[in-house]
Amino acid sequence: MARTKLYTGIYVALFVIATLQVGVEQIGLLESSYMLALALITVFSFVKAVVVAGYFQHLVWEPRSVTYVLVLGFVGFLALTVAASYSIL
Amino acid sequence: MTDDNQPRTDGGTATALPGDSHDDDHLPPRWSLKRWLVTTNHKDVGLLYLATAMFFLVFGGVLALLIRAQMWSPRAPGTGVLSAMAYNQAVSLHGLIMVFWFISPFATGFANYIVPLQIGAEDLAFPRLNALSYWLYLASGILVFASFFQGASYAGGWTLYAPLNIPAFMPSIGATTTVFGIVVFCASVTVGGVNFITTIHRMRAPGLTMRSLPLFTWSWLLTVWMMLLAFAALLAAVMILLSDRMLGTTYFAATTAGGSVLWTHLFWFFGHPEVYIVFFPALGAMAEIFQTFSGNRIVGRKWFIVSMVLVALQSFIVWMHHMFLTSINLEVKTLFMATTIGISLPFDLMVFALIYTLIKGRIRWDTPMLYAFGALVLFIVGGITGVFLGAVVLDYEFRGTYWVVAHFHYVMVSGVTGLIAGLFYWFPKMTGKTYDEFLGKLSFAVYFTGFNLLYFPLFLAWGTPRRVFAYRPEYVGWHRLASVGAVILGIAFLLIIYNLAKSIVAGDDAAANPWPYSTTAEWAVASPPPIENFPGKPSYASGNLEFLDDGATGAAAADGGTAATDGGHAALESGHGDDHHVDHASLWPAAIGLFTVVTAIGLSGLQVGSYPEGLEGLFYQGTSVLGVLGLLGSITAMGYENFTAHEGGLGEAWPFEGVENTKLGMWVFLASDVVLFGGFIGAAIFLRIAYGWEAWHPIPHNPIPGLVNTYLLLTSSFTVILALVAAQKRSRKGVVASLTLTFLLGLGFLANKAIEWVVLFSEGTGLDASVRASTYYLTTGLHMGHVIAGLLITAYLIWRAWNGAYTDGNDETLEYFGLYWHFVDIVWLFLFPLFYIV
Repeated sequence: MARTKLYTGIYVALFVIATLQVGVEQIGLLESSYMLALALITVFSFVKAVVVAGYFQHLVWEPRSVTYVLVLGFVGFLALTVAASYSIL
Repeated sequence: MTDDNQPRTDGGTATALPGDSHDDDHLPPRWSLKRWLVTTNHKDVGLLYLATAMFFLVFGGVLALLIRAQMWSPRAPGTGVLSAMAYNQAVSLHGLIMVFWFISPFATGFANYIVPLQIGAEDLAFPRLNALSYWLYLASGILVFASFFQGASYAGGWTLYAPLNIPAFMPSIGATTTVFGIVVFCASVTVGGVNFITTIHRMRAPGLTMRSLPLFTWSWLLTVWMMLLAFAALLAAVMILLSDRMLGTTYFAATTAGGSVLWTHLFWFFGHPEVYIVFFPALGAMAEIFQTFSGNRIVGRKWFIVSMVLVALQSFIVWMHHMFLTSINLEVKTLFMATTIGISLPFDLMVFALIYTLIKGRIRWDTPMLYAFGALVLFIVGGITGVFLGAVVLDYEFRGTYWVVAHFHYVMVSGVTGLIAGLFYWFPKMTGKTYDEFLGKLSFAVYFTGFNLLYFPLFLAWGTPRRVFAYRPEYVGWHRLASVGAVILGIAFLLIIYNLAKSIVAGDDAAANPWPYSTTAEWAVASPPPIENFPGKPSYASGNLEFLDDGATGAAAADGGTAATDGGHAALESGHGDDHHVDHASLWPAAIGLFTVVTAIGLSGLQVGSYPEGLEGLFYQGTSVLGVLGLLGSITAMGYENFTAHEGGLGEAWPFEGVENTKLGMWVFLASDVVLFGGFIGAAIFLRIAYGWEAWHPIPHNPIPGLVNTYLLLTSSFTVILALVAAQKRSRKGVVASLTLTFLLGLGFLANKAIEWVVLFSEGTGLDASVRASTYYLTTGLHMGHVIAGLLITAYLIWRAWNGAYTDGNDETLEYFGLYWHFVDIVWLFLFPLFYIV
């Protein structure tokens, strides 16, 4: 299967990104620049999630409507979390 | 029969055909109890829903009469027909039962029966899941019923506000059982939502585009989408509450910063869409009835649908208008006041469309039309009085008073009234009998009088504090009028039930289509319809509804309906059930429902981490074990059972062409799981912000064990992919080896987690140590639960693969499991940094 190589490459990349994520904490960036570290760690999580969903779950090869179904749930989560959090600031 | 033969956009022209000759060929007869235990047919399940919902209507109605008896006079605690605690239970359970166990399931009953007929499907996409959805609904209702016999049922109001909902203030086991009932109800709704979304999107007849979908089906499609997302948020809320009650976490403890506001956010994020979840099916029924009884297509049909879509979307951005009296900031209150006013605009359009439809048509005032019109009147009153509550300043005055009680009932019961209209409208279709028209009209007169006598005076007595049986003496007259109205309304329901029961036994036979000008497909088949609904494959490809020969369906769909034999119908001589086999019976959904009750009753005995002493504790522990074993056995048996359902995608499937039913069902389920996890993660983020973001440190001291678990899960995702690749290469060894690796990696994840927890426990960091600890344990615990469920499925897949499955070209099951497993992986990718790093 031609895709086995692609899957393997993605797996290695995910492994590396997960390591980098902890690396951000290990080099002390959380102490020196919390918001930058938080942003980096969050971006790493999103990149990993998008790659797993796109390739391991085959979303890139499915009709776009399937992605929208998942995005709908995510938007629901965002609406609840962001608005609720803002309400107590 | 209709005399309107113009092609219509709402499902074509209904022209009745005789019933199929081989009815119920795979099921026990209707008089047999066994049939109702094993049936998976959508019409049977619909009738089960309707009958059960009617029971809960009576249950909730009796509680309402008790409330009104208590409110006859202002009371001091301990006086009147109810004790103070009994009154609190009656008020709480009346609300819960009517909202959860009557109105929504009542609509689900109609949807089950009518939607597949309207879209040209022979059943739902997943018939056994449909039956499971019903049995979980019944199980949840039994739990609520049982809660009264476990000390006391829930007594803190139907909104279950925190911190009143935690054991310190609501200690009875019965209260936990009530919450369990809501959890199980949420599960039922999720299963049902996945099923209906897949069915309506994927199983429409050729030519039945989304634009031409009947309005009832449109309203139900939007309802189930709202249900899917809203009930996932409620599920998160009640699961967290159960954890506070059973395990001792401290999310909603009075001392937790933001705990009680967190509950209101989670509850009302569900609660406001719930208003439309309740009302939309009634709106759809009303739209159908207005069209049929005015002989006029609904005015502005396209904009009516657009308005429904807008309301469904907007319903998720108005919830904080229920929280104007909490400590949320003024900016957000103002914002939500604006969104609340905004949601009334599409409703205005729909109301005017309905009114103008009547003005343009010639109205026939049959019983369904009377109820539908009554529903519109009640909704207008409810809607206008609700605008007051959407304005921050007025809400400060009205919140917590009987104004809310009156407004809320006008809105919710307008939905009930619309559904009763639907009950009379579809009664001939469902039973094959006609109801007594005089009794029907009489019941409406009594109903409308009783309802308004009950609730309008409550606007005038609005200064009465809500949920309290003491009130100012000057309101006595209004409250007595309301109590008299309650009795009259109760009599109306008895009249309705008597009329319909009498008609089932001794009513005249109903024609296939008793309503002139009806246009939807359910009226084109016999009353009641045969087991597989249609005398051929339905198709709208020519613009009219036609029934085509099975073999001709594809061609008909492709070439515009050339397979029609007589310009209207291609009814088959031999029917269509002989050349393909589908199943209609399974005992396992009912068994799962039964063991769900047993499990929940057993677990309800667990209070803040421990069971009661002595025999009582033994009973609860034994029941828990029995229930869990029964559940595992039933679920496994259901998974192993051979069951053939109808395929989807043979007609219209926009926007999911090419996505098989099961795959779409899995994706829809995962979308709801996103919201479920979103509720938990959002709760953790919210509490952290309330606590002070940077003052909150991760519970695990070291992120490395979490990183190891990330490696383990990522690798297990990769091995699932390898299993799929091996299946495509027809390598049995490869599939078994890859799945076994997945299983071992998952076990490794659990073992690593267990070690981490043991260390933390040994250091004295239990679930109740702090709210930080609570969020860490519960959110990662929910994820562990998903991992455990995934491992159980993996073990099953290994066993099947060992026996030769998945390498014969049918590897879809592996792919669908992979979707779930990768999702579990994705969730961890967010939990890991949130709970281990930042």
